[in-house]
Amino acid sequence: MKERMKKWLVIFMAGCMAAGLAACGSKETVAEENTSVEGQTDSEEIQEPIRIGVTLMNFQTEFSIGLKDYLEEKAEEIGGVELNIVDAQGDAARQVQQVESFIGQQVDAIILQPQEQEASSPCVDKAKEAGIPIVNVNSLTTSEPDAYVGSDDIEAAEIAMNYIAEQLGGEGNVLMMHGHAGQTAEVKRTEGAKEVLEQYEGLTLLDEQTADWDRAEAMALMENWLQAYGDDINAVFCQNDEMAMGALNALVQNNRKEGIVVVGVDAIADALASVKDGQLDATVYQDCQGQAEGALDAAVKLAKGESVDSETMISFILVTQDNVDQFLN
Amino acid sequence: MKETQIRGRTYREVFEKYAIFIAFILLCILLSVMKPMFLTPANLLLVLNQASINGILAIGVTFVLITAGIDISIGSVVGLAGVTAALCAQREIPIIPSFFMGILSGVLVGAIVGLLVTKGKLAPYIVTLGMMTIIRGVALLISGGRPISGLPAEFGYLGNKNLLGVPIPVIIFVAVAAVAYVVLMKLRVGRYTFAVGGNMYAAEASGINPNQIKMFVHLVSGGCAGLAGIILASKIITGQPNSGEGYELDAIAAAVVGGTSLAGGTGSITGTVIGALIIGVIANGLDLMGVSSYWQQIVKGLIIIAAVLLDRNKKRQ
Repeated sequence: MKERMKKWLVIFMAGCMAAGLAACGSKETVAEENTSVEGQTDSEEIQEPIRIGVTLMNFQTEFSIGLKDYLEEKAEEIGGVELNIVDAQGDAARQVQQVESFIGQQVDAIILQPQEQEASSPCVDKAKEAGIPIVNVNSLTTSEPDAYVGSDDIEAAEIAMNYIAEQLGGEGNVLMMHGHAGQTAEVKRTEGAKEVLEQYEGLTLLDEQTADWDRAEAMALMENWLQAYGDDINAVFCQNDEMAMGALNALVQNNRKEGIVVVGVDAIADALASVKDGQLDATVYQDCQGQAEGALDAAVKLAKGESVDSETMISFILVTQDNVDQFLN
Repeated sequence: MKETQIRGRTYREVFEKYAIFIAFILLCILLSVMKPMFLTPANLLLVLNQASINGILAIGVTFVLITAGIDISIGSVVGLAGVTAALCAQREIPIIPSFFMGILSGVLVGAIVGLLVTKGKLAPYIVTLGMMTIIRGVALLISGGRPISGLPAEFGYLGNKNLLGVPIPVIIFVAVAAVAYVVLMKLRVGRYTFAVGGNMYAAEASGINPNQIKMFVHLVSGGCAGLAGIILASKIITGQPNSGEGYELDAIAAAVVGGTSLAGGTGSITGTVIGALIIGVIANGLDLMGVSSYWQQIVKGLIIIAAVLLDRNKKRQ
């Protein structure tokens, strides 16, 4: 009995290790490439590439994946840049370790999409201590980086809510779906939306509730809201497009979309397609490409010792049926 | 001791069912007094509809819990099954075979878990903890981390259409509950399931093969999770790799609220169904009342604890 258990355990562990090795394989080759590049530095004759370490929040979110793709595209375009992009997997502690290993590899610059405002701050501190320029993309940390390229979530909610106010003629009942409570984007998008609501006396916030950025949860919440408020609902502001798509689906399935304005934020592919079809009224485009390109520009300049603006704000853009085509590529 | 437990089961179970049913009715009365619109047929059907995904998951996991096992990989299976079905549909495989593939992916995970638990003799908690992250990883990998959308409209029928005025998810939920009830209460394999959970060595001595039963319950659990996954994907007409995160906890909560013991040996399908309804009613009722989601979480937790306390007091009597 024991022998058999051991046998299975060994097989299982071997399997795990094989899988682990396969997964690490790619990283190891990157490390080797890096050392060979360092070997060349002595000669100084060959133009060495600028090596930039990039740590992004979470490859499970579309925005991080977008940043990764645009960074790679842009690096390809300008040439002479070697990117090492890693995934913090939603863990601020892991992100700090990743920055530490970038410092160990003596990269020329670091791009950071901080997981958390406070907990990712050591990334910035350590890079600065090591004298490696660091650029924050997408969101801020408490410690100030050499440059910040991002967008202000307050503005996104303002744009969305102003659109709703405009559509309703400044009068009506609005529902708001929050993102995951306490996250920077949720806090700021709430702030922006409420600022606009205060400006319009005729707008009433009927109810607000979180659906955790999640499509299925948003659908259930919208169904419940339809039961609770029925014909009183004039507009729904969802703090991201995933929830907007869920809310929209609930309205469409219940034949209640008519006369209810639904707006999301982020301009994900589904939302853009839906705006194009005339289903979703509007979404707000967070310029992922603009942020990625701005961050890479800043990082390259800093690596070359040039000076850059300490803060570059990339604007949000309202997407409606009128201009949706320019966002669909 | 063991004997009285086995003999007394039917009486005790009737009693337990009764207690949880009363609690459920009281909750409904309370909600309809506070918010009359709760009691409209449309809203009740909505609650059933919203509870059906968790209900199907909970029925599957009840089988595992009765054998004194646990399955926390089901939330990830929901994501995998949805993505699998959506990927198939996207490649122009007809809808029904696509859904079938989704369910099959769940059964397959159940089979792997079953093998590791029986042949590998690993604790179910550890195996399914590992599978939870592995399966989530697979779902993310095959979908490229992005939601799979732009699916044909028929993909959404299963989750959104009605049959004779009843939402299809509700019909599936009722059918799954009926089949599970018959299997667990009327068939030999059901009696063996209780026996393995009650006392594995006694069961083994009386000629039952515990490994077969364990394999069976994990196949059921995986299959139910696969089914729940395709219904969810159909509902949102999207295969979302992240969907189902945390669903395992709601499913286990529904079973526990319904009187299933984590120590194994006790549990019932009716109890689990009512447990799932209670959790669904709370979410719906509190949304209707406009209660903040922070409070909703607190209330849900309190009800889980209260239900177990109630259950234990009943057992003492």
